[in-house]
Amino acid sequence: MGRNNNRIILLICTAALLLVLFSTGQYGATSRGVGLVREGYRVFDKLMSAPFAFVADVWNTYIGLVNTSWENRELRRQNDRLKVRCMALEEVKSENRRLRGMLQFKEAHPELSLIPAALLSQDITLIFKTAIIDKGSTGGFHVEMPVISPDGVVGKVVSVSPRTSQVLLITDPNSAIPAVVASTRVKGIVKGRGGNLLSLEYVRRTENIKAGDSVVTSGLLGAFPEGLTIGSVQEVRRDVNRIFADIVVKPCVEMDKLEGVFGVAHRVEASD
Amino acid sequence: MLTAWKLQISLLGIFIAALMMEVSIIPSLWAPLRVDFLIGMIIGQIVFIPFSQGFPFVILASLLIEAFSGARVGLLPLLYIAVFLATDFLKEVIYLENVFIQGFLGVFFYVVIAGATAMITGATFLEDMIIPLIAGMAMTGALSPVMAALVGRLQASYGIREP
Repeated sequence: MGRNNNRIILLICTAALLLVLFSTGQYGATSRGVGLVREGYRVFDKLMSAPFAFVADVWNTYIGLVNTSWENRELRRQNDRLKVRCMALEEVKSENRRLRGMLQFKEAHPELSLIPAALLSQDITLIFKTAIIDKGSTGGFHVEMPVISPDGVVGKVVSVSPRTSQVLLITDPNSAIPAVVASTRVKGIVKGRGGNLLSLEYVRRTENIKAGDSVVTSGLLGAFPEGLTIGSVQEVRRDVNRIFADIVVKPCVEMDKLEGVFGVAHRVEASD
Repeated sequence: MLTAWKLQISLLGIFIAALMMEVSIIPSLWAPLRVDFLIGMIIGQIVFIPFSQGFPFVILASLLIEAFSGARVGLLPLLYIAVFLATDFLKEVIYLENVFIQGFLGVFFYVVIAGATAMITGATFLEDMIIPLIAGMAMTGALSPVMAALVGRLQASYGIREP
């Protein structure tokens, strides 16, 4: 028993010595002995970990896909939510721009008492051009009240209820506004043609009016304040057999894109 | 009697939703476009609902429409009642249950209403109104059978039968 023990101790010591002998230059090039041990361990590790790696791989690439699919769905949902939010922000941005424009217009015209309103709906028929706005008699609107936008004249109020008003747009065939050509001061009546254009009527064909001339309200009859932009002359047709020229006017306001308007309550007198 | 009231209220509910589409949603997508949902509902009334119940609905609906138009008082009710009576007359002549006939009638009455309004007011159809007119005609033609079927579905759910 004691002899055997001695042999074993001797064997271990010999092995240790051999290992030391092989371990020259430990921090330089790896000694063969250490290298063998490490290589052996690597193979052992590979063999032992291979089944675990296989299971982990199966888990991550197949069973784990369930999680990926859920995550993908969640990300898509999140993306959709963000898209909707982006659209809403764009709308807010556009509204902000429009309201800023209206505010600037109001500040630029202190002589006019303006009541802001927003468009509710448009005429249900193709022929008539009216619009419903969200302010009525309680908001200071009344029949015959001029309605304008920062771009120019929109129309006038034809009927009111406590919280809504119906506006007859200048493009309606029933609309007529006293107007004047800004450059020549030639007076006429601007009438709607039913489409998107207007006519300047009762202007003699001999008058010097050309395309591009600006047409503004004349202030006659007192309905509209003087000098509000209506549009610009698009075409002038002169027939020698007719007294009046046929003048087509393009409105400054794009009625199709109308959103915010002002009711002109009354003219504020300038005080010295 | 109660069933008739329920039907009228349901029809009115559908019509108000359609009205909102006509005056706000569709013009916000393309301002000059006008689509008529009422024509389809009128066809549905004639096909599926007794005259005595369809007529009050048409009067009420056309009066509601008037609030959203610059047309003179009574013009639109007059036109829609004329459409109702004309469809009722046609019921005896042609097979109104056919969806293609319903679509055709939708287009026809859309043109008649637009033309009559223009004629009465002295307005003329201008170049920029032609494309919206054609698009409106097509959409009204497509929607008329749908609205008529909707009225039919309501009638079936309330179990009202022609006497």
